[in-house]
Amino acid sequence: MLNYIWAGLVILSIVFALGHDLQDEWEGTYNNGSPIQLSYTKSDTPQDIKLQYRDQSIDVRIDDLNNSREVTIIVDNGLPTLWQRIAKHQSSKDKSTLRAQIINRDPSEKQITLLLPEVHWIKIRAISQAAFDMAEFAVKLAIGLAGIMALWLGLMQIAEKSGLILVFVKLLRPLLRWLFPDIPKDHPALGSISLNLAANVLGLGNAATPLGIKAMQQLQSLNTQKDQASNAMCMFLALNTSSVQLLPPVTLIALMGTQVSELIIPIILATTASTLVAVTAAKLYARPGR
Amino acid sequence: MQHLTALIIPLLILFIMGHGLYKRVAVYEEFVEGAKEGFTTAVRIIPYLVAILFAIAMFRASGAMEILIDWVGPAFSRVGIPPESLPMAIIRPMTGSGSVGVLAELIQTYGEDSIIVKIAATMFGSTETTLYVLAVYFGAVGIRKTRYALTVGLMADFTGFIAAVVVCYWFFA
Repeated sequence: MLNYIWAGLVILSIVFALGHDLQDEWEGTYNNGSPIQLSYTKSDTPQDIKLQYRDQSIDVRIDDLNNSREVTIIVDNGLPTLWQRIAKHQSSKDKSTLRAQIINRDPSEKQITLLLPEVHWIKIRAISQAAFDMAEFAVKLAIGLAGIMALWLGLMQIAEKSGLILVFVKLLRPLLRWLFPDIPKDHPALGSISLNLAANVLGLGNAATPLGIKAMQQLQSLNTQKDQASNAMCMFLALNTSSVQLLPPVTLIALMGTQVSELIIPIILATTASTLVAVTAAKLYARPGR
Repeated sequence: MQHLTALIIPLLILFIMGHGLYKRVAVYEEFVEGAKEGFTTAVRIIPYLVAILFAIAMFRASGAMEILIDWVGPAFSRVGIPPESLPMAIIRPMTGSGSVGVLAELIQTYGEDSIIVKIAATMFGSTETTLYVLAVYFGAVGIRKTRYALTVGLMADFTGFIAAVVVCYWFFA
């Protein structure tokens, strides 16, 4: 499933980008290759002229009015929208200026004909850039996660050695008896299940997985039909996928930083709702005769 | 409540430390022992992060997401769900590292304080990577007939998403 969704994202984005750029080419959004004729007036300084574009006046820098082959347009919000967009997407690295080629000039009529840089493949270039940028960001993100994960896994190791986690198991026992009536009273599966749930509740996904696999193996030893999930297994997975979260997952803490603390209560409330739904559904499905 | 949430993490650290010392655990050595796993876990997720982040970044840069959000967004915003949180709702049940990517991307785009990020982060914290957990857990014991496990898991995820939206509006808007 993920294969299709992942490949779909990549293929769709290329198709969409291609479609967008081809539409731009077709409609001539950027007037590529069409020169524009403008009238100009001289300014106070010899290097500056004012171009008359529709009812706008644009300041332009020119080295020598009679001989220079290009003019430099300073990009600001006063430029026509199309020119701003051309400046933003031009291939030149310097986006603060727009260099236009001088095709023709007529000093007697004060007319000048300019050719703006061509703009092609905006979205295609944007997706390539985004792919490289995000690949780089992914590593920065993972390295950032390493430290915070180490902090929490270290604290959990202390909690495990001090027996704090065992205390948690004992607290959970009456609840587990109700959730898993099929499991014999002192079966080791209950220990693994409660450790797994504790790890889940404390947001330790990485610690939860090995414990959960161990619990599944112990549940499988009680299972009468080995190729089919037992009710206890389904309840265990229902709890796992809905799990009440007293502490947010480690990765969320890492991503959100201290901001995460104001999300703790909302997460507890949302997970309580999803756990109630999951447990109720699993209990209903597990009724005899179904 | 603000004071309580600000205090939970430091108090938990204090409690774990205190209990460890009381039980005469070599706290420093055990901490280091456990922390070793942090780096390997982080490094292990890099390929997954790169895979998902680059695909999502391309998707978003292509403008396809905007078209999609334009399409289905109005229906969702009519019931109060910000369309920007939809990628999280779609990707979360499938991959944990992928949804980390979605959230990281939203944080980069909208910032931690935006309601969009708060909803997405609450969704992230409230639901599990159901398909992944099912595959790993049932795969480990060779069970192919999963009966009602997936249905129940997806019901839980759906409830989590709706609850995340409702609770976040209640708390932050």
